[in-house]
Amino acid sequence: MNEERKGVTQQAIDVLAALGGVANIIEIEPCTTRLRSEVHDIGAVDTKALRAAGAHGVMISGHVIQIVMGPHVDNLASDLEDLL
Amino acid sequence: MARSVLKYVRVRDYLRSLVTHELSAGDAIPSERLLCERFGVSRMTVRQAVDALVVEGLLDREQGRGTFVAQTKVELEVRLASFGEEMQRRGMAASSTVLDAEVVAATPDIADALDILPGELVFSLHRVRFADGDPMAIEQSWLSCQLVPGLFDGDVPDSIYGELRRRGLEPDWGEDTVSAGEVDAQDAELLGVQAGRAVLRLARRTFAGETACVYSRSTYRADRYMLWVPLRAPKRVLTPRRSESAVPAGSTKSRSTTTEVVG
Repeated sequence: MNEERKGVTQQAIDVLAALGGVANIIEIEPCTTRLRSEVHDIGAVDTKALRAAGAHGVMISGHVIQIVMGPHVDNLASDLEDLL
Repeated sequence: MARSVLKYVRVRDYLRSLVTHELSAGDAIPSERLLCERFGVSRMTVRQAVDALVVEGLLDREQGRGTFVAQTKVELEVRLASFGEEMQRRGMAASSTVLDAEVVAATPDIADALDILPGELVFSLHRVRFADGDPMAIEQSWLSCQLVPGLFDGDVPDSIYGELRRRGLEPDWGEDTVSAGEVDAQDAELLGVQAGRAVLRLARRTFAGETACVYSRSTYRADRYMLWVPLRAPKRVLTPRRSESAVPAGSTKSRSTTTEVVG
């Protein structure tokens, strides 16, 4: 219930922080149900924090991380755009 | 060498179009002699072309009778509908046989897919799915006992999605992971095909809003199914405004698509 009311912007803030902040981001792309991001330092990514921010799955391959968020990922991406 | 390869491809592609656009299931294809004459090729080249389509599942070769157009494959759209709903939309009658319905402790992979902890109890349902009486797929599904208590009380539900809706959980998104494989001996028997034949394996997570509801693994006969996938161009890639100064030396972009700097 609280999570529903938290608002997407707070989720965007949490997701960005879990990805290691703006300085760690190379790019972010919404992909239907996932957020795909390429980062400088994969070690700076906090997968537990991503889960806590509402992620249903986290896949890491090299410098690229895929986060299962759901169909609202486009809204999340536009909020992230404001934060970048 | 290159010439004969091209000839075989020409015959094969002609036959493919004939099979998919002019003939119906059960029709005989033109005789080898006719095809040889039409394309000016050897009998061996024609056989090569026909073999390819037999392997692809478009043609059935019946010993001593000839070669016939195989049953058409069902286009399985990758979307959030259950097997029963998909078959109904095609005017086919769906039914199933329950192999197993039990409560088990979630293994780590199933727990992960259901957003629960390993060891938590889950309903496990193992079914063979039929369309118009033909076995089409084998499906294993798992649901958290805490989410849908009493799921197996009384009869095992015919439709899991239907049961979820009755409980106020409307499946509204999910993810499928699709791979190709060969069917093992047990599943082959259940599907009525030879062991080692091609199958499509679908692993699906079904969500209702933020709730992971069902995890399922299905094995579909590749001779009766093909996947239909709608495509969209990718959304714009976002990059940090100050990305140029923030990029440390040695870090390179792996994509060459348009990546505009925002703002």
